Amino acid sequence: MSISVRGITKRFGEFQALRGIDLDVATGELVALLGPSGCGKTTLLRIIAGLESADAGVVRFAGQDATDWPVRKRKVGFVFQHYALFRHMTVSDNVAFGLNVKPRRERPSKAKIAARVAELLKLVQLDWAGDRYPAQLSGGQRQRVALARALAVEPDVLLLDEPFGALDTQVRQELRRWLRRLHDELHFTSVFVTHDQHEALEVADRIVVLNAGKLEQAGAPDQVYDAPSSAFVHRFLGSVNEIPGELAGDQVRVGPLALERPAHLAAQFSAPDAPVKVLVRPHEIAVERAGERGGGAWQAEVKAVRMLGPIVRLELLPDGGGPVLEAEISRERYEQERFVAGERVGLSLRRFEVYGADAA
Amino acid sequence: MDGAEFALRTPTRRRLHKGPLLAIGIAVAYVAIVLVLPLVTVFGEALDKGFGLALAAITEPDALAAIRLTLTVAAIAVPLNLIFGLAASWAVAKFEFRGKSVLVALIDLPFAVSPVISGLIYVLVFGAQGWLGPWLVAHDIHVIFAVPGIVLATMFVTFPFVARELIPLMQAQGKDEEETAISLGASGWQTFRRVTLPNIRLGLLYGVLLCNARAMGEFGAVSVVSGHIRGLTNTMPLHIEMLYNDYDHVGAFAVAALLTLLALLTLVAKSILEWRSPELRAHHP
Repeated sequence: MSISVRGITKRFGEFQALRGIDLDVATGELVALLGPSGCGKTTLLRIIAGLESADAGVVRFAGQDATDWPVRKRKVGFVFQHYALFRHMTVSDNVAFGLNVKPRRERPSKAKIAARVAELLKLVQLDWAGDRYPAQLSGGQRQRVALARALAVEPDVLLLDEPFGALDTQVRQELRRWLRRLHDELHFTSVFVTHDQHEALEVADRIVVLNAGKLEQAGAPDQVYDAPSSAFVHRFLGSVNEIPGELAGDQVRVGPLALERPAHLAAQFSAPDAPVKVLVRPHEIAVERAGERGGGAWQAEVKAVRMLGPIVRLELLPDGGGPVLEAEISRERYEQERFVAGERVGLSLRRFEVYGADAA
Repeated sequence: MDGAEFALRTPTRRRLHKGPLLAIGIAVAYVAIVLVLPLVTVFGEALDKGFGLALAAITEPDALAAIRLTLTVAAIAVPLNLIFGLAASWAVAKFEFRGKSVLVALIDLPFAVSPVISGLIYVLVFGAQGWLGPWLVAHDIHVIFAVPGIVLATMFVTFPFVARELIPLMQAQGKDEEETAISLGASGWQTFRRVTLPNIRLGLLYGVLLCNARAMGEFGAVSVVSGHIRGLTNTMPLHIEMLYNDYDHVGAFAVAALLTLLALLTLVAKSILEWRSPELRAHHP
């Protein structure tokens, strides 16, 4: 079922949580709401679920105005960060809850409910845990129970609030891949909230970046990652080097480099020589041994080399001052080059974005 | 050196350090002197002149009337405070509203005010010379020196118990489970009965038992409003005091022992219910 959100505004006392959010989620899509804490992502999710009411704006489910629908009528499954399992019920009773509370004429027979619960527990690989209590399960297992419980009532929409936020890294990675596979199998429409860009990039069909109650950018993961619409999105989606620079005609000056000015900048900067910020991801900085292949016009000294598994991070001190830059190269490349601290290298930028110097 | 060696040995020997031993010693001694000794004395004094006399003391008509009145008052005050406590803690813990902090402060009022004063307030309001006195007299309604006054005073003194027990518990549990239940299609009543109530039932039980113990044992407030009419407005604590003042030690301690027994029974009931709760045992296997 498609979801459409228009002009959603919400204020908590003095705090403006959401400032006019427009958002569309297509049927069967898996969308991530990504942003720092306090950006309003959870509030937006709760408004879609009906657990919170917006001050202004409209929520539509499959084209129907659902703004004033009670939670029950929306047929949404909601999964909380801390699982919210019913602690006094067994795992089976938790999963069966949504079926057991149906009005008598809609309620399936006891045998049918039991069969459905068994099927769902199998789906989440917990068929052995039906008689356990939530307190006897690990965090990852509890969250899988919560998912099974939400899926039991066959919701039109599945909403997940930081579903993996309380789990340790390994379980988190396992579970988010599993969620993606599950989604590919069942094709439910789903929105999940996260502050973890890796999670969003890995799981979502589309990423919606929120900041301070406003929508910054929405797009496919590679689009948001490679073509961020603002310095905020650029920074939030991964580590980044910020280098002061300036515009000069149709060029961007960064250190001694004169780079071609990206075409889309024309509209943003009217002055021909405005100071700017150049943002470059660590893996977009090309590092060459000084002297080889021209070595690049921008010389730097390697300050430190850090091995980070498949990648190697170099800390570089460019000549002529400026901030310390971080460049990442592949392990393979490193094994060929064997950069060491203290040696001199040449830099160039493969891909970069330019923002106004005052960009927050 | 000694300390380091000791620290190395403790994990295998599991010997207790001096500190914990001292703390346990103090606690046990305290409980023995302040709690167990008086309790034993009550039963000892009651049975001093034989079981027959004690039994006679609690089966004479005035004593029976006091017992009946105490149980009646508790039977009215406790359920009403249960309903109030549930409603107040549900509202305070799960919702934001204006005047919430005032409500929370008011719930503590009976703890802060001396019971005698609570009794006097009722006399001021409902007494013959009180604000509502003339109207009550005109309509032949007896509050002060009658059962309604005793019930009101008891309710006032005991109304924080359930709410005080539940508010922190419900606040700690948050709203997630209720919101989940609603999103799974449960109605408000289903959510309360199937999710909220089971989650708080031990706290609720504990609050009710405390409330009940205090309702049966309340002396000060009840003493002011009751008028001490033998066989009519004497509750068990008042009856005990009266017997004691009459130098009827066996009688006083026999009724006291019965009152103590009632309190002990509620504690035993609580332990049994706790023990029978399956998920509690799952938590502490």
